[in-house]
Amino acid sequence: MTAVPMLELRGVDKSFGPVHVLSSVDFTARAGEVTALVGDNGAGKTTLVKCIGGIHPVDAGELIFQGTARSVRGPRDAALLGVEIVYQDLALADNLDIVENMFLGREVLTRLRTLDENSMEKLAEQALASLSVRTVRSVRQHVVSLSGGQRQTVAIAKSVLWKSKVVILDEPTAALGVAQTEQVLDLVRRLAGQGVAVILVSHNMNDVMKVADSIGVLFLGRMAAQVRRKDVTQTQVVELITAGRSGELGLSPAESSGAAV
Amino acid sequence: MDQTALLFLVLVAMVVVFTVINPIFFSSAVFANILQDWGPIVLMATAQTLVIVSGGIDLSVGAALGLSGVVSALAMRELTASGQSAWSAMLLGVLVAGAVGLAVGLVNGVLINRVKLVPFIATLCTMGAALGLSLVLTGGTPVAGGPAGSIQFSSKTYLGMFTVPIIVVTVIVVAAGLYLHKTRFGRWTYAIGSNQFAARGAGINVESHLYKIYALSGLLSGLAGMFVYLRLGSGSASSGVGQELSAIAAAVIGGTSLLGGVGRLAGTVIGAFIITGVLSGLIIIGVQANWQRVVIAALIAVAVGAQGLSNESLRAK
Ligand SMILES: Nc1ncnc2c1ncn2[C@@H]1O[C@H](COP(=O)(O)OP(=O)(O)OP(=O)(O)O)[C@@H](O)[C@H]1O
Ligand SMILES: [Mg+2]
Repeated sequence: MTAVPMLELRGVDKSFGPVHVLSSVDFTARAGEVTALVGDNGAGKTTLVKCIGGIHPVDAGELIFQGTARSVRGPRDAALLGVEIVYQDLALADNLDIVENMFLGREVLTRLRTLDENSMEKLAEQALASLSVRTVRSVRQHVVSLSGGQRQTVAIAKSVLWKSKVVILDEPTAALGVAQTEQVLDLVRRLAGQGVAVILVSHNMNDVMKVADSIGVLFLGRMAAQVRRKDVTQTQVVELITAGRSGELGLSPAESSGAAV
Repeated sequence: MDQTALLFLVLVAMVVVFTVINPIFFSSAVFANILQDWGPIVLMATAQTLVIVSGGIDLSVGAALGLSGVVSALAMRELTASGQSAWSAMLLGVLVAGAVGLAVGLVNGVLINRVKLVPFIATLCTMGAALGLSLVLTGGTPVAGGPAGSIQFSSKTYLGMFTVPIIVVTVIVVAAGLYLHKTRFGRWTYAIGSNQFAARGAGINVESHLYKIYALSGLLSGLAGMFVYLRLGSGSASSGVGQELSAIAAAVIGGTSLLGGVGRLAGTVIGAFIITGVLSGLIIIGVQANWQRVVIAALIAVAVGAQGLSNESLRAK
């Protein structure tokens, strides 16, 4: 807890033209922890994620990586800082197999500059094994034939492979059944266990209460509160999501009355 | 069964059928002729495979062949008239043909990346423009008067059927195959054709990759133009007309999916043999030559139809 956070946002503002989407957002993610990011539809979760990933440059505020403020001007900057975003559906190429997807854009080459398939296959298998993945039969399977949970697994394993420091999962379980959701949540925990700062965006309160160490609640573009999981009940979190405050926690009555624009 | 092996069986079956109908088909003279037809087709089909795997299509390959043939014929005629040797004229011809093809490909790249036209429309425009330009340059008459002995040079066979241009084409196609299947360039081509968003997310510069793909397609078509020039001893605007159809046919018969992201160059090579073999075979068994395009069109329909069915069964898995 006392260590410098892997990622810290301070006073982040973001507008799209006249639409003020994020107002002075503070948020912290620590290495080895799962930090949930929750909030109602349109609260600004995806926007915040895209700000961290360099897809949207921030209007004001600081992104601090391991204690140092950094300017993130594009996805490449974010990637260099070790940020990996796992999108729900769009991140994998269907016609490529698991190995090809995991190494896409960062292929291992032989001395003759040809693809080093054997090395890549081994490294991919190691990454999957380090997460104790047993649901994937062959790393040469084409992604088109994988289930939603297996796809999520591949995407997460990719971040292990690249030794990402911050891994952001936007709604990883939204399309999954009960058993597959369990598997992915297990994976999320194991990923954090490897020292990664995992940020989990989710609408599913059960998931969040089960795996998160810390929970940040966005309400109409403001950070209503970031609390430790063990200090709150599910009811309190739901109140924070829907009203922006819960007892002592959250925004002042004036702030939460809705005039966020 | 392995798809390439299956295609090979189709090719063998085709040879058997034509040979049974007319035994003349099974001769080194006919095979040599099929190989000469195969040369330009397989170059354009290789180009087409790269483009289609990347999720696009290149309708301008035939017109690029024609324009390169015409422009390099004009250049070779000038050089020959100024008394230069046949060898230097042919060398210049190769360079000019390649450069013209490359230019056509780059125009495609600009139309797709900058003007944001879909590949179908972009290459349809360059196809029309390139054909028009070749007609403007030649007035529609073939351009001869190039290096003496080019036909003899290009038609001299070794081992009964292999000419120097065919050997060069084979080397180019093998190199293209290695490039597509063994390098990062190839891997990215499949990724872009499969999911552009994922490719971008992986840090691939999709625009610059597409420039390379279409430029390469143009270059290969330009070299096909030189091949045809050497064979005929003249460059003609009409020499590429309709050839895009054969190139696309060879690729899709070979298993390349028009949806992008799927295809093997080995399949395309066999596909090109099937196309040229069928066309020669039909002539040998006495079918009127004007039926050729109808047959190629039908082959495309059958190949794409078969792919669609197998895709559906995959999705219904
Ligand atoms: N590119 C954009 N231009 C204009 N407005 C945008 C843009 N992106 C998001 N917004 C607006 O910003 C607000 C927050 O959107 P965001 O997608 O971040 O919400 P979210 O919390 O992820 O919601 P959900 O739970 O539905 O995914 C919404 O009102 C949305 O309309
Ligand atoms: Mg969202």
